[in-house]
This record gives sequence, structure tokens and C-alpha cells, in this order.
Amino acid sequence: MSILTENIQVLLQDSEAAKVLATVDNQGIPHIVSDNTITINDEGQIIYLELIETSRNSVNLVNSIWFKRKVAIHLSKGEESYQIKGYPAYSIICGPVFEHYYKLSLERNPEFDLSTVWIIEPDEVINDTYDARKNKEREEHPLITHLDRLAK
Amino acid sequence: MDKYKDVSPFVIIKSDVTRRSFIYTDRALGALDKSKHQYQQRVLIGSNRDKNAAVPVSLLLRDGTSIIGMPSKTAKNPYVVDQIDGKLFLTDQGEIVEEVHYWYKPDYYDKFTSSGTPMWQVASSRPQRLDIDPNSHCHFWNKGNGCKFCNINANSTQSEKECNMSKQLTAQDVYETVKEALKQPGAFTNLKMSSGSILSGAEIFDDEVDMYIEMLQAAGDNFKDKKFPSTIVASAFSEKQLAKLYENTGLMTYTSDIEIPNEALFAWICKGKHQEVGYTEWKRRIIRAVDIFGAGNVSSGIVGGCEMAQPHGFTNEDDALKAVLEEAEDFASQGVSVVHCVWVPMHGSAFHNQQNPSLEYYVRLAKGLSDLRKKYRLNIDMDNYRKCGNHPDSDLDRGNL
Repeated sequence: MSILTENIQVLLQDSEAAKVLATVDNQGIPHIVSDNTITINDEGQIIYLELIETSRNSVNLVNSIWFKRKVAIHLSKGEESYQIKGYPAYSIICGPVFEHYYKLSLERNPEFDLSTVWIIEPDEVINDTYDARKNKEREEHPLITHLDRLAK
Repeated sequence: MDKYKDVSPFVIIKSDVTRRSFIYTDRALGALDKSKHQYQQRVLIGSNRDKNAAVPVSLLLRDGTSIIGMPSKTAKNPYVVDQIDGKLFLTDQGEIVEEVHYWYKPDYYDKFTSSGTPMWQVASSRPQRLDIDPNSHCHFWNKGNGCKFCNINANSTQSEKECNMSKQLTAQDVYETVKEALKQPGAFTNLKMSSGSILSGAEIFDDEVDMYIEMLQAAGDNFKDKKFPSTIVASAFSEKQLAKLYENTGLMTYTSDIEIPNEALFAWICKGKHQEVGYTEWKRRIIRAVDIFGAGNVSSGIVGGCEMAQPHGFTNEDDALKAVLEEAEDFASQGVSVVHCVWVPMHGSAFHNQQNPSLEYYVRLAKGLSDLRKKYRLNIDMDNYRKCGNHPDSDLDRGNL
């Protein structure tokens, strides 16, 4: 069962939501791409469509699946904001799933030439709104605040 | 794997599975869906399979790495493919190693050409490549001088006799099959042709070149532009032959296998090639092909580990590896990639009773060849993990930028 709640799943299916994928290379240098076509499959796994076989992002994902490195996805719309961390679980380059997304890519843009369907297994979800992060800090670190905020 | 933390574990698993072979449990064979998966395939070397047995033709790992191999009933220590909780896994001594998938069957596979030939017999399919082998008979064997690791003629003769599978393809069948294959969106990124050597003609290999021109033109008639992503794995052609091939077809890249990158061992293992052309000339021709196809568009395959075949091969793995990588570097420095497959002493080959080297040897060989490409800035797009899938070293290249 997926660790993603229903509202996160809805947000992942929303093409209007902002979606950013962050990876790192073998030296730990981060790389991010913004792609609002990131979505979710029936198993609650995240789908990322790589269009450029030789991109930095693609190579980072390859190394992530090889060496079990996490990737992060930032997801937001309006007041909602989440960070999802997970592991690339499958790099699909052929077969029915690949061809389904290949056709979908072509519908989005006839110039798109899909390289790989990446399936990312979510491992950790963080509510990324300011309120959620601040509330967590207040709960776990009550000494960290400015005194003027506590004044009568 | 602990010793080689910077090498893809998928490539290590692939090398070992190929090296040790594998078998299927009945549960795993039960997971084969003949409407979805490939269970028939025409190959040059190996086995065209028993038409009555439904056995998956190959395996795919989670990262898209292919394992090109066949189950062996006589393997002494094979991996076992099993179905567990609805998924397929490679297992070793009862332990799960990695998830696998069977290769999918392309849409054209069950169709027939106008002459009645099953299209799967005209073009095999790898995950993203069309494989067309127009001539499955090697003339070097006619004088008993075929390469000792190879079973091409044994395989094609058996298939012709038992399955009525023709050794030679027709251009019309090739045209029609490629036409049908291209109707499937996203299924292929490359077209490869290969063949047994044809020695006849005014100059040696002239008839082989003419055969490729006819077949490539037939395939090429299906493309908008003259040139299309394609390669051949062929004999070492002269500059004149290469130029003729390049000018008259859509061919973009070229491979001729040096097989054993050591002159003395080449003379023993590839006796026919050495007698008719010679190691030095075979190598020179491959390097000269760079003038026509460009650096990075020419490669040469080796049967990795065969340099340790006995009684004349290396007896020490360090010595063997050093010799192979030195010769590979000489190729790379002149614009030619060297790629390796894992030597499997096959039934029907002269070396069927031999033992291949250790897994560590294959890991070091793959890393060494991949590192050479990085050093000399050679890409291997023509023969990479998704197109061929038979080379652990070029699988590693996809992790480099």
C-alpha cells in the first residue's frame, strides 16, 4: 500500500500543480528539474517520464537505481506543499507500460521522444508548508523562537 | 559486490548470470504468457530454440539491463528463475537476488510476410532493437576453420532441418517485416544486421558486402531519410568495400569483431580469419572504418574471457586482463570502441567443455573497457544497454556523463 495520502495522490494527478524532481550525481552535486507531468500509477508509485536519454537528470536516476540513492520530489499548489523522498524502483525502456507513456508523450507534444519511464517508490513524505514545518519545530524545539513573539 | 561499490550491481548480476547460466522453475515457466512474451527467436549464435518448447527468450532487470542468455540444463551452478508472490526473481541457492521480467513480444512477431515466412524468423527483437541476420551460414567453417567459440553453422543447420527455418533471408521479406515493425510506436531505436562471413567474390567479402547492400536497401526503403540508426556486425571489409557500403545504404555505424584481441590467440581460435585476412589486417581495417563512419561509430566486439581458453590461452587472469585492455586501448585511441560479451562455452562449439573465468574477471573487464571509452570520449550509442544489451561494459556507460 502506498504511503501517499489521498490528497497527495490527487495533487500528483493535477497537471496544474508544481512538481520538481531533485537528484544528485556521484559527487553529491544536486540537480533539479521542474516537470508538471510527474504523476502516479495505480500502485501509488510516482511516474516520471525522462525525455532526454543523455541528460544529467537521466544519468543521476540511473546511478540512483544502481546504488540505492534517494531522490526528492517537491509538490505544491496553493496552500498545499509536500516533499516526497523515494527510490527509483524501475527504469522501463520497453513493453506495454513504456509504449503507453510513449503515446501519451506524443499526444502532449509530437516532438517528444520518450527515453525512459521511471517509477519511483515513495519512502518518506514531509508536509512542506511553513505552518506544518513551524509547528513541528515548536513541538520538538520549544526553545527556538524570538522572545518578542511570546510577549504580552 | 562489496569490493566493487562503484560498479552497477545490475551489471555484476548480469555478468554472473550469463557466466553461470540459469534455469527456470515450473512456476516461472507458468508465468510466461505466449501472447505477451517472446518465446521464439532467430539468433546467429546460441540456439534458435525448440519450436515446441515455450521458454522465455531472455530476461530484463529492473533498471532496463538485459540478460542475453539461455537456460542450460547442463550448467553446474546455475541461477534459478522463480515466481514468488506473483513476481519473477533470480535466485541463488534459494536466496532472492533480483527481480526479473521476460522480454515482451513485438506486435509484428506473429505475422507473416507475403511469401509466408513468419516475421519473427526474419527479424528478432531485443528490447529496443530490430535484429536481422540475413545469412546464418559462415564460410569459414566450410574449410573447418570456424572460430572455436562459435556454433553458428551447427545452430542454423539444426534449425533448418528441424524447424524449416531458412539460413538465408530474402530482401522482400526484410522489407515487409521492417515495414510492419515500424508501425508499433516507441518499440525500436535501432536496426542491426549480422551474418556469417561470406568469403566469395572478386575480392574476399565482396559478396558479403553486396548482400548487406541489398538487405539494407530493402530495410531502408521504409525510412523517410536515406540514413537511419543502424549497424552491422560483419567481416572486416576493405576501405573500398566500406565506402561502397556507406554510400549505397542507410548504414550509420559499423562493427567488425576482433573476437580475441591477441594475435597469437586469434591465430589459434579464429584460424580461418587469420589465414584469410590475418590479425593485423583485420584490426587495420576496423580502424580505417573510422575514416568513413566517424569516431565512436565503429566498434569491435570481443568474446570476453575466451583469451583464457586452454591449452594455449592465458592461465593467469591478471595477465589476460592486462593484455586485453592494452589492445583495447590501442583501438580506443584510434576511435574504435571495444565491447565484450561474456564467453559461454556453448554446445556445438569447439570449446563446449571449457570453463570461463571468474566473475571478478568480468567485473574488471567491463569496468576497464567502459573507463577506456570515458578516457577517449567515445560514445557507444550504437551498441548501448537498450540497443544490444549483450555488453556489460556498455551497460556501465549509461551511468557516465
